[in-house]
Amino acid sequence: MTDANPKGHNAPCSNRDFDFFYRGLETQQLLVQRCSKCQTLRSLPSPGCEECGSLDWEPVALSGEGEIFSYVTHYHPPLPGFSVPHPMALVTLDEGVRLLGAMDGTDPGDVEIGRRVGIEFLRRDTVAAYRFRLL
Amino acid sequence: MTSISNKTAIAGYGATEFSKNSGRSELRLAVEATLGALADAGLDPGEVDGMSSFTMDNNSEQEIFRAIGGKDLKFYSRIPQGGGGTLGPVQQAAMAITTGIANVVVVYRAMNERSEYRFGQPLHSLPPTSDNVIFAYHGFSGLMTPAAMLGLMMRRYMHETGATSLDFANYAVQARKYASTNPNAFYYGKPITVEDHQNSRLIADPLRLLDCCQESDGGVALVIVSAERARDLRQKPVYIRAAAQGSPKGTVSLGGFYKNNIWPFDECAAAARQLYAQSGLRPADLDAAILYDHFGPTVFPGLEAYGFCAKGEAKDFVKDGNLAIGGKLPINMHGGQLGEAYIHGMNGVAEAVRQLRGTAANQVPGARNMLVTAGSGLPTTAAILGVD
Repeated sequence: MTDANPKGHNAPCSNRDFDFFYRGLETQQLLVQRCSKCQTLRSLPSPGCEECGSLDWEPVALSGEGEIFSYVTHYHPPLPGFSVPHPMALVTLDEGVRLLGAMDGTDPGDVEIGRRVGIEFLRRDTVAAYRFRLL
Repeated sequence: MTSISNKTAIAGYGATEFSKNSGRSELRLAVEATLGALADAGLDPGEVDGMSSFTMDNNSEQEIFRAIGGKDLKFYSRIPQGGGGTLGPVQQAAMAITTGIANVVVVYRAMNERSEYRFGQPLHSLPPTSDNVIFAYHGFSGLMTPAAMLGLMMRRYMHETGATSLDFANYAVQARKYASTNPNAFYYGKPITVEDHQNSRLIADPLRLLDCCQESDGGVALVIVSAERARDLRQKPVYIRAAAQGSPKGTVSLGGFYKNNIWPFDECAAAARQLYAQSGLRPADLDAAILYDHFGPTVFPGLEAYGFCAKGEAKDFVKDGNLAIGGKLPINMHGGQLGEAYIHGMNGVAEAVRQLRGTAANQVPGARNMLVTAGSGLPTTAAILGVD
């Protein structure tokens, strides 16, 4: 971490609840929160556990592998930072939580519910990012 | 517990024309709609003592109040969630009047959405508020428009129910058919075919252009008073039989992807439970409905969540023609937001008022009780309106 980048990442809009996630991507780790009290995993970051309300949690690294639960392909209007058509998948990771990810680099016609995917870490401009690839 | 059921009524409504470029300020639209609603009810602007709107509305209460010659404003409130909040201000008005906080409440929504804002553009996520960091977390992967967010939900709906884009065409065609005979609708005189729908370009696959609501400029206002007062006014009172908000566990604004069912459904079902409990009515008691169609396909899980058919059966319910006048549940007789205009659902509330008064362009004969819903896929609101 440097003074010029005190958050440890270049994600465009984050706060202290979300910083750990983007910081994990800097070291090619997919981090989610695990409740310290009831052990429930949560992918969409939140300061509190939706199951037990505990504010205590620790980050855990996931495999990044899972199965497509749903998907959408964006066509219009133009997207900043992506070309269109731009497929995205909502993936149920093997650890049981869901994660949305881009699937650019994959033919939209190949994206289907039930397909196995794995995570690929990459940089988009200066930002550490990830996307899913078909396995 | 104090019930709000049937204690208040919509005594008047007003609306500007719906257009792609209003040529005047949003405040002017709000004022015109408000004055129209008051004139419709036969109320003097000086009697208004409450106002409620959407947090997204750019027109401040006191500026509208100044422009109409208001005297003493005592109650004002705002409801969040954009089109998810449509019936929230109606509920606010009903509660304020029932509790004696206010007597004459104006509910308004006015916007130059097409000529000045264009909601369908990629969302910008600064500053890092609790909602914006979630939009940014999804936008990081390219999920940036409401169409893509609802498309992701609807793709799963299609997978689980077998509904297809051709099923969604049936609603798109029905909505434009109604609009084609509504002189206030963008699609007046312009019905479409299933082929037109299927040939319209993809916006966020599975959603096509003709699945999307109209970008619109315009304003709509309602004036709400006690049931007793309404009976002495010019128009037939349209009673607020029930009004509810719904945001059950797992609800995220346009991002509820982490619960068991990601359809735009759970929040609607939560509102529905309250509406039927408050009103003592059942789905079979409703003669017609206004179902929010930011995207036409969301009407399908909406029909299921509000209890008009079982989960997964909406595609057959729609295919069988039940949404037309004479069917089991005519919906969106103004043409919906696909066919008439998109004023965050408020033009649909106005249509419900016309239907219940018996003055609609496409009138459901003898309509007495109607459901009106708001945007789904985010915290939502709904109401049941009725006449004696």
